[in-house]
Amino acid sequence: MRTRLRFPGFLFPRSKKRKKLSAGRQEVSRPAKEGGPPEMEAAGGGAGAPSAAGVSTSVKNPGWKELPLSSTLDENLQNLKAVFAHCSDIVFREFNFAQNKNVRLALIYTDGLVDKSLVSDQIMKALSLEVPLVTSGKEIGKEQALEFIVRQGLCVHQVEYADRLEKAVNAVLAGDTVLLVDGHATALINGVRSWEARSVEDSLTDKLVRGPRESFVETLRTNTSLLRRRIKNPALKIETITVGRVTRTEVAVAYVEGIVQPGLLGEVKERLRRIDIDGVLEGGQIEELIEDNPLSPFCSINHTDRVDKVAAQLLEGRVAVITDGTPYVLTVPALFIEIIQDPEDYYQRYIFSSLVRIIRFIAVFAVLLTTPLYVSIITYNPELLPTPLLLSIAAQREGVPLPAFVEVLLMEFVFEVLREAGLRMPQPLGQAVSIVGALVLGEAAVRGGLVGAATVIVVALTGVASFSFCYTGSTTVRVIRFPLLFMAGFMGLYGVLISVFTLVVHLASLRSFGVPFLSPAAPLVLSDQKDFLVRAPWWAMFRRPRLIAGVNPQREDPGQKPRPPAGPGKAGR
Amino acid sequence: MKKIVLLLLLFLFIFSGGCWDRRELNEHAIILGAGVDRRADGACELTLQLARPGAFGGGMEGGGAGNVILGQDVVWVVSAAGEDIYDAQRDLARQVSRHLYWSHNALLVFGEGLARQGVREATNFFHRHPQSRETMWVMVAEGTAKNVLQSHSELEKTSAQAIGFLARAKAGHAVKFIDLIKDLASPGANPALTRLELVKQGEPQGPGTEKKYEHKEVVFTGTAVFRDDKLAGWLDKQETRGLLWLRGEMKKGVVTVPSPVEPQKKISFDITRSKTKVEPFYDGGTISFLVKITTEGNLVEQQSKEDLLAPGVLPELEKRLAEDIEERCRAALEKAQGEYGTDVFRFGEAFHRKYKKEWRELKNRWDEEFAGAEISVTARVRIRNTGLLTRRASLKR
Repeated sequence: MRTRLRFPGFLFPRSKKRKKLSAGRQEVSRPAKEGGPPEMEAAGGGAGAPSAAGVSTSVKNPGWKELPLSSTLDENLQNLKAVFAHCSDIVFREFNFAQNKNVRLALIYTDGLVDKSLVSDQIMKALSLEVPLVTSGKEIGKEQALEFIVRQGLCVHQVEYADRLEKAVNAVLAGDTVLLVDGHATALINGVRSWEARSVEDSLTDKLVRGPRESFVETLRTNTSLLRRRIKNPALKIETITVGRVTRTEVAVAYVEGIVQPGLLGEVKERLRRIDIDGVLEGGQIEELIEDNPLSPFCSINHTDRVDKVAAQLLEGRVAVITDGTPYVLTVPALFIEIIQDPEDYYQRYIFSSLVRIIRFIAVFAVLLTTPLYVSIITYNPELLPTPLLLSIAAQREGVPLPAFVEVLLMEFVFEVLREAGLRMPQPLGQAVSIVGALVLGEAAVRGGLVGAATVIVVALTGVASFSFCYTGSTTVRVIRFPLLFMAGFMGLYGVLISVFTLVVHLASLRSFGVPFLSPAAPLVLSDQKDFLVRAPWWAMFRRPRLIAGVNPQREDPGQKPRPPAGPGKAGR
Repeated sequence: MKKIVLLLLLFLFIFSGGCWDRRELNEHAIILGAGVDRRADGACELTLQLARPGAFGGGMEGGGAGNVILGQDVVWVVSAAGEDIYDAQRDLARQVSRHLYWSHNALLVFGEGLARQGVREATNFFHRHPQSRETMWVMVAEGTAKNVLQSHSELEKTSAQAIGFLARAKAGHAVKFIDLIKDLASPGANPALTRLELVKQGEPQGPGTEKKYEHKEVVFTGTAVFRDDKLAGWLDKQETRGLLWLRGEMKKGVVTVPSPVEPQKKISFDITRSKTKVEPFYDGGTISFLVKITTEGNLVEQQSKEDLLAPGVLPELEKRLAEDIEERCRAALEKAQGEYGTDVFRFGEAFHRKYKKEWRELKNRWDEEFAGAEISVTARVRIRNTGLLTRRASLKR
């Protein structure tokens, strides 16, 4: 509760700022809020959450934010037009209320962010043409117009009031439609947001065989609705904050009340609140601004575009940070072990999942250590190889002009270039690049005597292994591999040992939002070993990760292991 | 600032040692086998079998990785003489363009001449050299070590590797360098090393192999028996088996005995497990040893026609086998006790373990005491299994 009082921006419905409007809101928008499409809530959220940073967007007339709305339509329009000068996508539409020239209305919205048919049918047509039918000729004066419009005229599911210019401007920019009524200093904000957006598709980065395929999209409200569909419980809380002085990006903090540790939640909100940046285009910017270990190559904040993964993380007591405009959702705290955990592990049978997880674990070390070990063994300690293998490698190295270290470095460079090229190439060409790169270059390099075949094998193994676990983890490991390779080249096994030692010390020193990065390995948490190197069956994993979900560790009733029913015959025995 | 200086210093310390003994694979001359001979003028002659990696194919054109390219020499055998082994090696360093690399040397061969004069001086270099392994096989060549190393194997890539595989298969009495050192250091034991000989062995057969040529393959032909560090004489193959039984090193092998029913037909027995227990007895005057050999194994070949299931047949066979083992042991003992007067069976160590005080007086003249000791060998054999057959198919009920 302390947090909420201190940072009212997070919980706008309960904040002091909102209290003024709560009466009107209850009357008008509550009924609509519950059953309508996701845009509604966004309308409330977008308009309601004031700019957290509180910094002006317009340099020219910094005073407009303080302006209240005038009761004169022309003055309001003039102010708004000044604010939206040179914004060709803002539409100002003036028309009369119920064919009555005395009551003038103006509709302001951003072209492309509103549902045009809703605007023309449910607002304009309703107010100008259909009202006379209802009132059967009885004229409504200026004074009653606002009340009538809200009560009877508008056929829009969500309506809010605004009495300050800034709020109206924000609403227009967020995709809501602002209706100004001549003679009233209150604007009506109609939630008719609708814009072109990518539909919900398969995840592009986290592939799986068995399990839900839905992934997040760029629209925040769609994303929260996807989450809500997974966790149909009022305990799933989604709080919104606006980040970015210029972009005013909505960022939602999602958690499950009762599982999440209040301290963790407070910390996440506090760090988000501290962000002062002009624009947020992707969660990555937020990630780097709030992470614990800004200088470490390891990311202590995870991201995914898989809905089910985020839902599972929330159920374990983690906090998700959903950024508008990106399908990638941040989750904290993130641990080292998440590199080898995959959502599919929890859907496939646990025996297979455990096997795959162990393989991934080995693959992490393969990526990290194969090339450094190869270099250090063949240049410093060839006695570690069996004689036939040594002779074979020696034969391959016979004509190679480069030292093994340079040779490996060269191949690693080529491999990284190929990978990057495959990624950045226009899609139809990507395949060609990888085939040409892998086959032709490798084969030519060996035949040309530039590199030994063993080097190609080792580098290719590293490359393939790096695809076998999560992409974020693999980028980290790929980066660390290079210093390790240098140490191996300079100092052999001794250098590799120093590097690994340093790495382990570094990993052990890391924390992600208060949780040790290496847990549950260090510190050792016995109950969490069930979801570490192996994945225990679901009936055995009855506890949530202890260091993450501290207050409410019980996930399920223990002793749910399926067993034959106690039939009458057995019971009698 | 201070931090940066400290960090730089740390890096300096770490990296100034960099590339200390970095040596690319193609700067190594990989030694596969080494031989030491004593020349007539007393000089020490070191012979090295060096791998020529270029001939091993290795992914380049012609032959897959690790395959030998036909028509190319796989090894290069060089030798040089010096006052001691290191001196000879220094001389070799002037002939070989690459750095001699000992870590993969799996074979050390002593020439017969050197062995007769004593091998102790020749072991020190290999024991002291950080690259040289204690697990390499040590053998004695009939003739010169150089001859043996200058051979090639028809099956393996090099003769050194072929010898290594034979030794690992326990084809004879194979001894590792570390065991030789132990035997030399112990007053209660004398070394016994494999005897190597070049024998004309088969003809290579294959399409296009019409020209027959003389090929001599290195084979194990018994054991060299030492007295202290000097070669005392040889044991032949049968006596070598006895040596293995008595040393308790018989891990696998075959015992063939004539059938109790039809003596001209043979029955073979394959050893799977064997244990030798040596118990010394000393009453102040005479030393005696009781050697108990317990062996288990399978019957693998039966040329004769007795019904193995008939009562008494298997026990009778077991008795015959035990007698055969005892016989072989006795043959080895006779040679060692009588002809050479040397304890190559490590009986002295068994004696030392039981009679610690008495050992102090006896150890300096142990070999003489051993020659006069009374040794009785009793073997017990159990046939566990008779292969896929119990009754011969032709046997009538």
